[in-house]
Amino acid sequence: MKEILRITIALTLSCLIAATVMGLAFVMTAKAKKHNEDLYMQETMLGLLGYSKARPAPSDLRFYGVYRYIIADGDRRFLGYMVPVKRGGEQNYALVVMDLKGRFVETMDLSISPEAAGDAPEREKALRVALGPPKAVTYGDTTIIAKRGERRLAYLLPGSFPGFKTFISIMLALDPSFKVLGLEIMEHEEDPGLGAEIEEEYFKHQFKGKTFERIKTIDVVREPLPEQYKKYLERSTWQEGAFTEEEIEEIGRTYEDKDIYAITGATISSKSVSDGVRNMTKRFSYRMGSLDRVIASQGVEVLF
Amino acid sequence: MAARTKTNKELFFNGILNENPIFRLALSMCPAVGISTTVMNGLLLGMAVLFVQVFSSCTIALIKDYIHPRIRIPTYTLTIATWVTVIDLVLAAYVPVAYKAMGIFVKLIVAFAIITMRLEMFASKNSVTASFCDGLGMGLGFMFAMMTLGFVRELLGMGTVLGYDVLGFCPLLFFVLPSAGFFVVGLMMAMFNYIEIVYNRRKKVKR
Repeated sequence: MKEILRITIALTLSCLIAATVMGLAFVMTAKAKKHNEDLYMQETMLGLLGYSKARPAPSDLRFYGVYRYIIADGDRRFLGYMVPVKRGGEQNYALVVMDLKGRFVETMDLSISPEAAGDAPEREKALRVALGPPKAVTYGDTTIIAKRGERRLAYLLPGSFPGFKTFISIMLALDPSFKVLGLEIMEHEEDPGLGAEIEEEYFKHQFKGKTFERIKTIDVVREPLPEQYKKYLERSTWQEGAFTEEEIEEIGRTYEDKDIYAITGATISSKSVSDGVRNMTKRFSYRMGSLDRVIASQGVEVLF
Repeated sequence: MAARTKTNKELFFNGILNENPIFRLALSMCPAVGISTTVMNGLLLGMAVLFVQVFSSCTIALIKDYIHPRIRIPTYTLTIATWVTVIDLVLAAYVPVAYKAMGIFVKLIVAFAIITMRLEMFASKNSVTASFCDGLGMGLGFMFAMMTLGFVRELLGMGTVLGYDVLGFCPLLFFVLPSAGFFVVGLMMAMFNYIEIVYNRRKKVKR
């Protein structure tokens, strides 16, 4: 009995010490990690819009976050969009509430700074203050709207959907007519050499330039990827003069209306991504349409 | 406490040559086969193992007198897991580029046989300094083995070294596949054994 007690105490103590060490390491690195993630996100967003170190983003490029929440009031459900507005000369947020059919219900002023709005708990706190206790909010998703001057440049949609193994999270860039500007795979755990190929240029760049009409019915085909198209998609490996301007245009036109060529040996992963992109685009275009309509009819002075 | 028969310098080189974890002890074969596809992968994993091995060896050498003999192994595992987590967090926070490439490998280190084995065989019986040298030697030995394997496999499998095209063509794709890892490890073991035999024979002749 004494032995058992000693072993129990020794193990408990070791676990406590280990937990303390790991906890300390976590606390010390959490801030730097968050910063890295934000930086990576920012870089991805700029990359999808075609900006890089070699081609820096213009100074009048702005990103605005729109956050969708589901508001539960007893049995009734509403959609609440947190939209950036200009109030008193400074950027602030307002909540536009509509019912599930997209009919306007009300708008509320929120008081939250743009920095705090990037933080999920802060947002929920502000929402709870504005809505009052009986109503509960559930986070839906985020849309980032890129704006240059007075012109809407693109919608950036972070999203995730089930892949072959676990969730695949992506960032999708759409232009104002919902044409795909680009796709970036942020995180996934597909098999290396098979499903993991979704992050390769020859797969993800196939979505680039597909129009909204085409994306609505996009699917995968189990055919080998034509050699010339593969070269065209692998943009980062292009050497000087690999393609002439006319060739680029011609190849782009030839494959514009084609489905997505599935990765050999990873049809399921390929199909998950193409289905995911299709569903995200379809849902987003519907939601953005109703939000824009409500905003216009109510005269909400949004920043995007 | 077992009597120490080797100096710190001998302990250090022991891990790299005489008792090289992969080529001589044939431990931790899973990562050797699975991950040593390129020189860079070998180097990255080798460095992570080096840190975990040194830290764990020192920790166990420090607390060896307080470990209940019945729960040695759980304590070792706990120590290794703690250090792996710490290194994982630090890498993710301060070297995000390297972390992106080696993130999944780092978590696997918890299950590496070589680290537990060194704690059981060496660190739990020796002083902190000796354990440090042993850990450093073993870690470097592992890194050296992984890089050698990576070099052979990358060169033969993809025709490149550290990502630079050297051969200009791709001789045998087979070498980057996991099964080829066994072949390369076997061949390298044979080579090291042969070198040792020749070396010992020469020494005898000299005498």
